[in-house]
Amino acid sequence: MTAPLHGIRILDLTSGVGGPWCTKLLADYGADVIKVERPGVGDESRGHGRFPGGVPHREKSALFLWLNTSKRGITLDIETATGRALMLRLAATCDAVVHDSRPSEVARLGLSHDVFAARNPRIVTTSITAFGQSGPYADWRATNITSYAAGGQHYLTGDADREPLQNGGYQAEYQAGTWSFGATLAAIWNARETGAGQQAEVAGMEVQAAILEIYLPDFAYRKSEVLTTRRGNFSSAVVGIYPAIDGHVGVHAMPKNWPQLIDALDAQWMAADERFVDNRARLRNDDDLSAQLYIWSAGLTKQQAYERAGRFRAPIMPVNTVADLLESEHLQTRDFFREIEHPVAGTMRYPHPPARMPSTPPEPRPAPLLGQHNAEVYGELLDLAPRDLALLSSAGGI
Amino acid sequence: MSEPLSGLRPPVSRLPLEGIRILDLTMVWAGPSGTRLLADMGAEVIKIESARSWDMLRSLHFLGGKTERWWNKAAYFNHNNRNKYACTLDLQTERGRELALRLVAMSDMVFENYRADVIGKLRMDYDELRAANPGIILVSMPSHGKSGPESHHVAYGTNVEQLSGLASITGYPGMGPHKSPIAYGDPNAGAIAAAAALAALLHRAQTGEGQHVEVAQWEAMIGNIGEYILGYQFDGALGESLGNRHISRVQGVYECATPDEWVAVSAGSDAEFAALCGVIGRPDLPGDPRFADVVSRHHHQDALDEIIGAWARTRSQDDAARAMQAAGVSAAPVLKIPRLMQDEHLRARGFWESVTHADAGTWDMEGPVWRMSRTPAHVRIPPPMYGEHNTWVLHDLLGLTDADIAALEEQGVTSREPNQGVHA
Repeated sequence: MTAPLHGIRILDLTSGVGGPWCTKLLADYGADVIKVERPGVGDESRGHGRFPGGVPHREKSALFLWLNTSKRGITLDIETATGRALMLRLAATCDAVVHDSRPSEVARLGLSHDVFAARNPRIVTTSITAFGQSGPYADWRATNITSYAAGGQHYLTGDADREPLQNGGYQAEYQAGTWSFGATLAAIWNARETGAGQQAEVAGMEVQAAILEIYLPDFAYRKSEVLTTRRGNFSSAVVGIYPAIDGHVGVHAMPKNWPQLIDALDAQWMAADERFVDNRARLRNDDDLSAQLYIWSAGLTKQQAYERAGRFRAPIMPVNTVADLLESEHLQTRDFFREIEHPVAGTMRYPHPPARMPSTPPEPRPAPLLGQHNAEVYGELLDLAPRDLALLSSAGGI
Repeated sequence: MSEPLSGLRPPVSRLPLEGIRILDLTMVWAGPSGTRLLADMGAEVIKIESARSWDMLRSLHFLGGKTERWWNKAAYFNHNNRNKYACTLDLQTERGRELALRLVAMSDMVFENYRADVIGKLRMDYDELRAANPGIILVSMPSHGKSGPESHHVAYGTNVEQLSGLASITGYPGMGPHKSPIAYGDPNAGAIAAAAALAALLHRAQTGEGQHVEVAQWEAMIGNIGEYILGYQFDGALGESLGNRHISRVQGVYECATPDEWVAVSAGSDAEFAALCGVIGRPDLPGDPRFADVVSRHHHQDALDEIIGAWARTRSQDDAARAMQAAGVSAAPVLKIPRLMQDEHLRARGFWESVTHADAGTWDMEGPVWRMSRTPAHVRIPPPMYGEHNTWVLHDLLGLTDADIAALEEQGVTSREPNQGVHA
């Protein structure tokens, strides 16, 4: 089968996490993503790590290697007149340009949708930033933590008697990237149907504000602040994380899972105990219920608890470490990790793209070396000869 | 195609997914959050429920037991199902299944987030759907996937972050794993599923082929910590939680003048750190050997936190964030939900949209996050009441007579009220 995004070309002006995650998803599903990096410097994630042996090397940064698979990489200084002219010529061959610039940067670098649309009316311009292209915070500087904070999830994370807690890694950035992936495809679909492109804008703060589960809807509707505080590791006794012999297990049981839960706990007596007789009673006796779960989990390994939960179809899971994932029989059976050989960083196991599509290209390609595809891309798309490239290179343009 | 429902169509500009019909068998949060993204873009999403199998989110209303038709008033349900239609069909009956397959024949996509084995038991798996409509796109969202030795497990949103490894790298340093406050696996899988469905649509336009997309929610979240998976292969370290801190920047959250009101501040480069020091009235700090360079600052973050914290305690979170931003330092208020809904930035961007609903009244909800410049999306259809569009689907789309429709209700294939005992 052809790859789902075969025939779609993307000019990728992003760096860091959110933008590159968006374009990695596009690339892993078959789009021709041309990643533009600054000559000699490259994407900031090349300096991030982790690195083999802890020794920094711009071709061996785990963050960069992960976020840039299947792309073609070119160097281009878009802040020079020559570089800008080349960028615009490349964009004219693309379905979408993806950038992560704040409005003041968009103005300074000349990246507005109108600029690209003047040369290619079908083009989509995707903008991925923390605060969007308009509004009083639009030019604010941002990192993952500022989106997590401003979008409302940060305040809700962590213990009531401690400071709000950021969750692991770069979740606000990843989420903005995932949502931009979809927004870009929706706009491309529309452009193909109508012949007219447009700007697709995603703001990390708004993505966060839109995924506040029951907490935001309940406040928006009832104006009650009951669900607007931090509640630590337990939303209730049956939605939380418990210690096991060799780590932790997580429980997330809805009222209808109660019979399976007490089967898994081998505690059928609880069905008849008036403290636990229905959901209302269980909430009133939340601490007693928590104690029962604690006693149960603390006597088992993660795997024992998980197997028992599976036998009775109770929603109890191990808190997996990355080592657990790489050893998971389930994920191995599903060929989730795929080996990718990188010419400098070596061969490693990479997670499969997040959705399984029969038409996914089976062989992902490693992240590009800095400027790896200069000759190929400039030759193929702009008809530049090797001599032209030497000129550009010596002038610092690529 | 039938006539669209009068009065509910968007004005002039054609939304990206107008003309795309989605049969939505999903419930709770993961699936509905995904189909909401497509509904916002103009897809005609028909949500299927039945008296014995209706969306649990309708039961999470916190309005007390007595309110009339409470199943139409739960904000959690209503926010996630705006811009959709709702029809009842009991898929466990032969007649309900047959009508659903007729809807499949006139749809572009089907979404389901049942447990892995349910769609097969309903005899509505991909092969059955394809027999009804060769170009159909089926999007399935089981927690563990449909294959593999653990596919029989049942998991919900916070379970997904536990399975995926995210919980293991979240937490206060040294205090073990911590959960997200939300069922994070759900909206993550929903956003992936919506995007994958669009990729499948583009693929179908090129090739004429439909396909079965599978989003295993566990797998869909692992990518969000992919750098930890690769990093582990480099150095064998599992990846410890950094709490609010960062691998290279100095950052944290600081309590402001009002108790439990916080500001997040993050500084990377020397210039950004110098600007931060200016804001807090301590231009001497970059000259202090503890804070003179990136490495020293990292080693003395506790001391730095105290200094920044002392400054923050004399300010409001908004003043603190604005002062930092005015000097070019990354910062933001840690917004509590009531404050988030008043926030001037989101207000200026028109993020909140008023919705009026026949049973639930009028309130504000978040608008579409995919901001399209030429085809701006809005909340154009209020969240559907249980069975609200039965007549439109059965009569206008499927062409059933009034007598057929009455018989279906008589037989319990369709219904006007859910069986309240299901989610007691």
